[in-house]
Amino acid sequence: MSLDPVQVMSGQVKELKVGPSSNGDSRGSWEEKEEIDQDNVGLTTKPKPPKPENAVTVAVSSRVLFRTEREQKVFEQDGVEEYLRFQIEHENEPFTPGPAFPFVKALEAVNCRLRELYPQSEELFDIVLVTYNHAHVGIRLINTINHHNLFIERFCMTGGSSPIGYLKAWQTNLYLSADADKVREALSEGIAAATMFTSEKVTEVSESQLRVAFDGDAVLFSDESERIFKAHGLDKFFEHERDNEDTLLDHGPLKGFLEALGKLQKKFYAKGQRLDCPIRTYLVTARSAASSGIRALKTLRAWGLEIDEALFLAGAPKGPMLEKIRPHIYFDDQMFHVEGAAEMGTVAAHVPYGIAQKHNAKQNISVRK
Amino acid sequence: MVSTIQNTDVKQKEADRAVVVAVTSRAVFDCGADDGDEVCEVGVAFPLLQALQRVNERLLEENPSESLLFDVVLITSDSQQQQQSSRIISNTRHHGLEISRFCFSSEEDFTESLLKNNVHLFLTTDRDEAAQASQKGVFSALLNGKVASSEQLRVVFCGDAVIRTDTEPPSASQDAAQSFWAQLGEMRRRFGMLDSPLSLVLLTSRGGRESCGTALQTLRSRGVNMDEAYSLAGAPQSPILSLLRPHFLLINHLQD
Repeated sequence: MSLDPVQVMSGQVKELKVGPSSNGDSRGSWEEKEEIDQDNVGLTTKPKPPKPENAVTVAVSSRVLFRTEREQKVFEQDGVEEYLRFQIEHENEPFTPGPAFPFVKALEAVNCRLRELYPQSEELFDIVLVTYNHAHVGIRLINTINHHNLFIERFCMTGGSSPIGYLKAWQTNLYLSADADKVREALSEGIAAATMFTSEKVTEVSESQLRVAFDGDAVLFSDESERIFKAHGLDKFFEHERDNEDTLLDHGPLKGFLEALGKLQKKFYAKGQRLDCPIRTYLVTARSAASSGIRALKTLRAWGLEIDEALFLAGAPKGPMLEKIRPHIYFDDQMFHVEGAAEMGTVAAHVPYGIAQKHNAKQNISVRK
Repeated sequence: MVSTIQNTDVKQKEADRAVVVAVTSRAVFDCGADDGDEVCEVGVAFPLLQALQRVNERLLEENPSESLLFDVVLITSDSQQQQQSSRIISNTRHHGLEISRFCFSSEEDFTESLLKNNVHLFLTTDRDEAAQASQKGVFSALLNGKVASSEQLRVVFCGDAVIRTDTEPPSASQDAAQSFWAQLGEMRRRFGMLDSPLSLVLLTSRGGRESCGTALQTLRSRGVNMDEAYSLAGAPQSPILSLLRPHFLLINHLQD
C-alpha cells in the first residue's frame, strides 16, 4: 500500500503537483495543516481519540503510569547514556503498573460506558502520556501500552525539555507526575496537578466505578482557612469559619477537575443512570459537619458542584475512612495525610499548593521517584 | 545561465561527505532596493544558518578532521537579488556566515544550480520553488516563517506516511530523502544525549501510537535515532509545532 503525500495532506496541497519528496506547503506558515481530514485518521478498528477541547484530558508521566524504579536507579547511578542503553535492551519487557494505572483503567471503563450511551459524543476522558523521557524509550513505552491494552494514542516525549507547554497545548485538565517540581510548575500555570508516589501496599479498587476523593482546603478550596488555622490555631479557625459561613471560599487547584467529573456524571443522570453511575466523587475533610463544614458545603452548592459523599472527619485520621471508600485516587495538600493514606493502601496524590507546603519540610517524606 | 562563486573565506567541504544544504538568499538577507545602505537586514533563515554553523563547530570539536559537515550554498535566482550579488557576498562576510558557495541563476534554471551543486536539501520560503525543486528530484523543505529562536538545530520529521515496499522501485527523490535522513542520523550519533547541538524530532499527526512506534523503529533501522517523539492522533498541530520550534519541517515517507 503506497501513500501519496498529496493524500496525506488532503485538502491542503491539491492544487500543487508535488513530487513525493517535496514539502510544498503553506507559505511559511504551518497553521493551515490543521485542516487535515479528521475522518481519515487511520484508526479503523479502534475508536477515534476526541478533540482536546471536547475531552477531559488527563496527562500522566511514564513514572506514575508504570513502575520504573529499576530504570531510575540505573539513571541515577550510571547516567543517561547507560539508562537509555538499558531501556533499549529491555525494550520487549513491558513495565509493570504504577500508582496511576488503576485510575487510568477506571477512566477507560467510564469511557466505554459513555460511548455506549453517547456514541457520537467527544465528551470523554483522553489520556495522554507526557514524559520528559527520551524518544529512545518510546518503543518500550509503546510496547508496554500495547501489553496492558491501554487506550493511549497521544503522547509527548520531550527528550528532557519541560513538558509544561505541552500540557497547555493539550488543554490538560489534570496532570499526574512523580516529579514535584513539574507538578508545582503546572499548578502555577493554572493546571490541576498532583504528585504521585509508588507504594508497596495497594488495596484493590473497583474496575467498574471510578472513585475520586478530594481533600477540601487547599485542594478544592483555596488555602485561606488553613492559613488562619496555621497562624492562629483551631479556635480562631472555627470563629472565622462561623463568621464567614455565607461567604464563599475561593477555589482551589482541583476545583476544575471536580467540575469536569460532574459534567460527565450528569450525562449518566440524563440517561437515568444515577444509581448506576460509573463515577463517584468524595470530599474527605478534617472540617466538622456541624460547624466549619457548612461553609464548605455552601460553597460547593453555590458553585453548582455536586459531590456524592462528603465525609467530615472533625480532625480524625483519614486513612481508615479512605480504606473504606477505596478511591482510585485521593488528592490532599498535606504529605502527612498522603502518607497516612498510603500506609493503608490508598493511592494518594499530593497537591503541593498553599500554606501547608511550608510545613511539609518537617515531615519525613520518602519520595520514591 | 548558472554561475557559481566560491567563498574564499571559507574552507570548502569534502564533496562526497558533506551534507549540502541550499538556501535561497532571499530567505537569508533582506536587501532593500536602496543602494546607499550596504548592510542588509537578516531574513528568516538566518538563525537556521547560525544553527547549522554551530553543529559544524561542535562536529569539528569532537573530531578536527571531521568530513561529515553541513555545506551551505546560497541560491540567488530572482533578478532583483542578482543585482545585489556583491552585497550578498559582502553581507555574508559581515555576518561571518559559513557559506561556501554562491549560485546565481535565472528563475527558470535555479533547479539546475541545485543539481549542479549536488544539493541534499533545498530550503526556501516559497512553496512553488519547493515544488519545482522536488519535481527535479531535489529533497526540499519549507522554512519556518516565524523565526526559530533555539540555538540548537531542531529538525522535525513528520512520520505519518509509511510506505511498504512496493513493486515500484524507489524514485530518485525518495532516495535523496532517505540519504539525507541517514546523514543527519550519523551526525546526531557524533554527540551524546545531553548538550547536542542538533535534535531530531518525530511528529506523527494522524494514526495512533502504532504509527509513531513503527516510524521510530523504521528510522532506527536506518541509523536515525530520534530525541523527541510526539503522537498527535488527530489533535491540532499548530499548538505543538509552535512549542517544537523547528527550523524546518520535513515530510517524507519511509520504506520498510
